[in-house]
Amino acid sequence: MDDTQNYNITVSSAPHISRPLWTHKVMIDVVIGLVPAMAAAGYYFHFYALILVSTCVISCVATEWLCNLIRKKPSSLGDFSAVVTGVILALSLPPAFPVWAGVIGSVFAVAIGKMVFGGLGANIFNPAMVGRAFLAASFGMLMTTWTVPATINPSMPVISAENEIDARTQATPLAWSKMAIKRKEPASVANEQLNAMFVGEVGGCLGETSAIALFIGCLYLLIRRTISFHIPLAVLVSTFVFAGVLYIINPEAYIRPLAHLCSGGMLLCVFFIATDPVTAPLTRRGMWLFGIGVGTITMLIRVIGGYPEGVMYSILLMNAVTPLIDRLFKRIPAGGKPGV
Amino acid sequence: MRIETKSRLTFKGGSHPSESKGLTVESQIEPGPAVTEVAIMLSQHIGAVCRPLVKKGDMVQAEQKIGDSDAFVSAPIHSPINGKVKAIALRSHAVLGRSEAVVIEAFPNSPTRLTPFKLDDDFDANNYSAEQICDSVRQSGIVGMGGAGFPTRVKIEPDPRLPKETLIINGCECEPYITCDYRIMLEWTRQIIAGMLLAKRASGCSEVFIGIEDNKPKAIEAMNETLRSFSNIDEIQVVPVKTKFPQGGERQLIRAILKKQVPTGGIPPMIGVVVLNVATAAAITEAVVGDLPLTRRVVTVTGEGVGKPGNYYVPIGTSVSELIEFCGGLKEEAVRVILGGPMMGIAIADLTTPITKTSGAITVLTVKQISEAKFTGRQTPCIHCGRCLEVCPEHLNPTKISHAVKYNLLDVAESYYMNACIECGCCSYVCPANIEITGYIKTGKTLLARQKKKMGK
Repeated sequence: MDDTQNYNITVSSAPHISRPLWTHKVMIDVVIGLVPAMAAAGYYFHFYALILVSTCVISCVATEWLCNLIRKKPSSLGDFSAVVTGVILALSLPPAFPVWAGVIGSVFAVAIGKMVFGGLGANIFNPAMVGRAFLAASFGMLMTTWTVPATINPSMPVISAENEIDARTQATPLAWSKMAIKRKEPASVANEQLNAMFVGEVGGCLGETSAIALFIGCLYLLIRRTISFHIPLAVLVSTFVFAGVLYIINPEAYIRPLAHLCSGGMLLCVFFIATDPVTAPLTRRGMWLFGIGVGTITMLIRVIGGYPEGVMYSILLMNAVTPLIDRLFKRIPAGGKPGV
Repeated sequence: MRIETKSRLTFKGGSHPSESKGLTVESQIEPGPAVTEVAIMLSQHIGAVCRPLVKKGDMVQAEQKIGDSDAFVSAPIHSPINGKVKAIALRSHAVLGRSEAVVIEAFPNSPTRLTPFKLDDDFDANNYSAEQICDSVRQSGIVGMGGAGFPTRVKIEPDPRLPKETLIINGCECEPYITCDYRIMLEWTRQIIAGMLLAKRASGCSEVFIGIEDNKPKAIEAMNETLRSFSNIDEIQVVPVKTKFPQGGERQLIRAILKKQVPTGGIPPMIGVVVLNVATAAAITEAVVGDLPLTRRVVTVTGEGVGKPGNYYVPIGTSVSELIEFCGGLKEEAVRVILGGPMMGIAIADLTTPITKTSGAITVLTVKQISEAKFTGRQTPCIHCGRCLEVCPEHLNPTKISHAVKYNLLDVAESYYMNACIECGCCSYVCPANIEITGYIKTGKTLLARQKKKMGK
């Protein structure tokens, strides 16, 4: 027995080694995955984009710090989840969004979206989407004012909102297609913008305009295995099929399926928000259902709902049923159910 | 002839911890310390605990039986040395806690046998009848030496209800650091194959596979080469399998080689399979041919926290501290002594714990290997990333089970098939939040068993 006292032997449960991958590294990976989108935002919307992103990040982090202080909990800033929330929220805001409103959204996102549930891992809804939904409900006008990217080619066909108050704003391709559906007009203008949507020279939120930047970021996360391909693929395929059927039925009234995929917040939401592990199902089959649900609800909102864009609401709706999906699709052990 | 050793045969899930076998992989099996005292645990196996056949003050001979049980699922124990029974006292057991052991003090001038059994060249398995083999295995107290400790006689004895078709010899040794099975495969190759032939004869299996992970090409080659020196080896095949943890779990190995699933909660004989560890096979030869009971085994003493790592042939009952002293003692920075490997081994605090039939290794780690975060037990909330689901070799939902246990919802944990867990530790290993998932599941299983026992009464 004397032997043990000379040494600092400790005991713990097996395993005694661990893979050197921690939560904060996962979160930092997501931020790195968002860098191309941030760069695109900086390129198209210049300096103001970066101001908005940094404001949101700082206010998210500050809110989390404050919440921990009030709850008398140890600081959880080290997990970097507040940074991710801030970046995603900022990228899902219109380019000319006022900074003060961004702060309000950030505070709401972290405080109500995450901390009231008990912090990281306990929230039901994606915090950034909660913040954005709050802003959309509170500042509807600000949230739908789309500044034209500063680099846009003046010879592009001008698709503008009905009241052309400011020449530097324009409707997003989706808003345009929505109007087309309502007025029973051809949706061809939105279709013509497909190329512009790939690179990002269209109106839209900061981070959602450039499909290429988002693809690069997604590729990084897939290679790093930070996200799995299941949810993005399920959303994209279901959206494509839904939009494809409509396009085949009436190519005049509805925009092309590819335009649906590249427009609005689709790619940003699919790659970085729907894959948020906290609010998405755990099992593979659950992920498929979740993704199909997001894609279908998005298309329902876009085509027959009141808003031109619906990814945010569809993700929030599917977030709400995630616990049910997890319960529905339990994993069956490799050896089958016991006693069968 | 160059043998293709890279293999794709494996199971779904699993993880790739750093192998760290370099410390001892080239160390030949050497005689261990000449012990002055051994403590033979009365329970070193799954099944009924032995009752002692000797009492305090009795003189015992080496290889003498000192404990047995009438139960079918049990295995007798033997003294490895000539000596005097000092006491029947409590000793620490890694799993069972304090339990009874026969403590034997060696006679002074009576050397301990520290050389392994050597097999004659004229060995022929057909010289032994099935009953003879089963009886020898039972009398010699052989149990599964890979870690589970299931009495081998029960495994290999023919059972009319569950006829056995396939025998798998498990030489995977997927656990990091440990090299005892690898060295046995290189140095005792003939004994393993002889034991395998004996087990095949006893059990009536028609085909035999030797599963070895493809990171051990030398062992695969040695096996193939030695096999050719035997006759009647048509149904025997050396199968390289992919290097992955826990490839050496019997359910995983069966999945890799036969593409069959052992039913959840079931055992391999239910699908006609017997799995024996290479060390067990060698012990069968010792018992049947050499008439020697299982009183010694190879133990890998390894890890960055020990002075002179190596593979040693030691009497069962040697205390961990004696073995560590023999290997140059603990280094100052050693913080954890593990009976077994770092993935599934059990950390011990009492270094007087004796070596049992199932202890294949002593791993001593420092903070550096454990990692600062793991050592301090810093856990962050689960972010449901699903990595534990991905690596689970039994296709379970580890995070749900562990959180159900954490909040004392044993029925919920059970509904996620908690009892199908093989406790391999992959989930805890990959968890980015550093949650002791395996620890929670183990606790849950124990609590559930206790609860059921209580309700049964």
